Amino acid sequence: MLKKSARRQLSWPALLCQALLSILILGAFTTPALAHRVIVFAYAEGGTIFTESKFVPNDPVRQGKIMVIDQKTGKQLLTGKTDDHGKFSFKIPPAAIAQKMDLDIVMQAAMGHRGSWLLKAASYVPGAAPAKTTAPAPAPASPTAPAAPGIKAANIDQQALEAALNKALERQLGPIKEMLTELTIHRTTPTDIIGGIGYILGLCGLAAYFLSKRKNNP
Amino acid sequence: MHISEGVLSPAVLAGGAALAVVGTAIGLKKLDYEAIPRVAILSAAFFVASLIHVPIGPVAEHLVLNGLMGLLLGWLAVPAILIALFLQALLFQFGGLTVLGVNTVTMAGPAVICFYAYRGFLRRPGMIAGVAAFACGVTGILLSGLLVAVALISTGQAFLQVAELVLLAHIPVMIIEGIITLFVFLYLKKVRPEMLEGIYA
Repeated sequence: MLKKSARRQLSWPALLCQALLSILILGAFTTPALAHRVIVFAYAEGGTIFTESKFVPNDPVRQGKIMVIDQKTGKQLLTGKTDDHGKFSFKIPPAAIAQKMDLDIVMQAAMGHRGSWLLKAASYVPGAAPAKTTAPAPAPASPTAPAAPGIKAANIDQQALEAALNKALERQLGPIKEMLTELTIHRTTPTDIIGGIGYILGLCGLAAYFLSKRKNNP
Repeated sequence: MHISEGVLSPAVLAGGAALAVVGTAIGLKKLDYEAIPRVAILSAAFFVASLIHVPIGPVAEHLVLNGLMGLLLGWLAVPAILIALFLQALLFQFGGLTVLGVNTVTMAGPAVICFYAYRGFLRRPGMIAGVAAFACGVTGILLSGLLVAVALISTGQAFLQVAELVLLAHIPVMIIEGIITLFVFLYLKKVRPEMLEGIYA
């Protein structure tokens, strides 16, 4: 009887070590293939907002439902379905530009998976501020007749230039925007896994400590 | 299997949280000194298992291991799963803190049911125990899928679509978990029978 209980006490730490080791090995092997969370990200290019949805790490969400919601009022602007690459794009609704809405883009995948992305108005309403400053510019140029056409031409030139610049910048910045959005996504790292196992071990120790105290002083 | 934040209605969330609290209390009451390492090991296994993809079927699912946890832990599976889910929500952003209660119920509830349903068969010798272990793994996932469907439907999602998806998506996981549960059970029975004391108690 005594011998049996001694054996059990000995096998306690051994069992714990074996199991933890195998769990750690399992964790180490699986780190590249992580599981189930839905992420959605969106960026604007031209007059269109592009969205991409995936299950972490890299499975596209096929035929998932996208809802575009005005963050302030909670009004649903439009809905759509992702294609087989998890992508969905839509023309920016004029109302959204006019009222500078912050768009909440919500992806609702099957079985209670959901993710959302906040697209701030500043990042998709193009050149809202410069457009206002150019509009009143021609007014003071009217008194002298010969100067007027020159200024007007300069204005038009400037506008055309700005539009061209915007276009070029958007094309160049597109990949960078995509990369930045990719970077903001939290992916599970080995640190997370080991940290979690550490927490569980700590809790196990805590529970053992308190229960052993209770055992000693009944 | 993890329901995300912002999907369920407040009533369902509150109900899930209340059930989870009751289950955890029962589990903690049954927790004794000898059982602590078992609970910790399985909690850690559950925590990591969700990172393992089962890439078959229409929606890639991951391992849950709740049938196995029920088999080895009984009511103790509730606190074990609660802790693992809490850490998953915190570190992996699976599920979420407000849905913690509902997710605990959908995964730990079937574990407890499996424990009582199969305990009698698991004590028997030979083939019967093996079949019961396999069935235990399968039933754990099946019931979890059903509970997820119930949670979603009671929040107002279309019945047919949800039911179809839940059933289809989980068939591969069910089979794999059944096999895993079977092998773990056979291994422990041979090598570490003291791990199985839950079903003999």
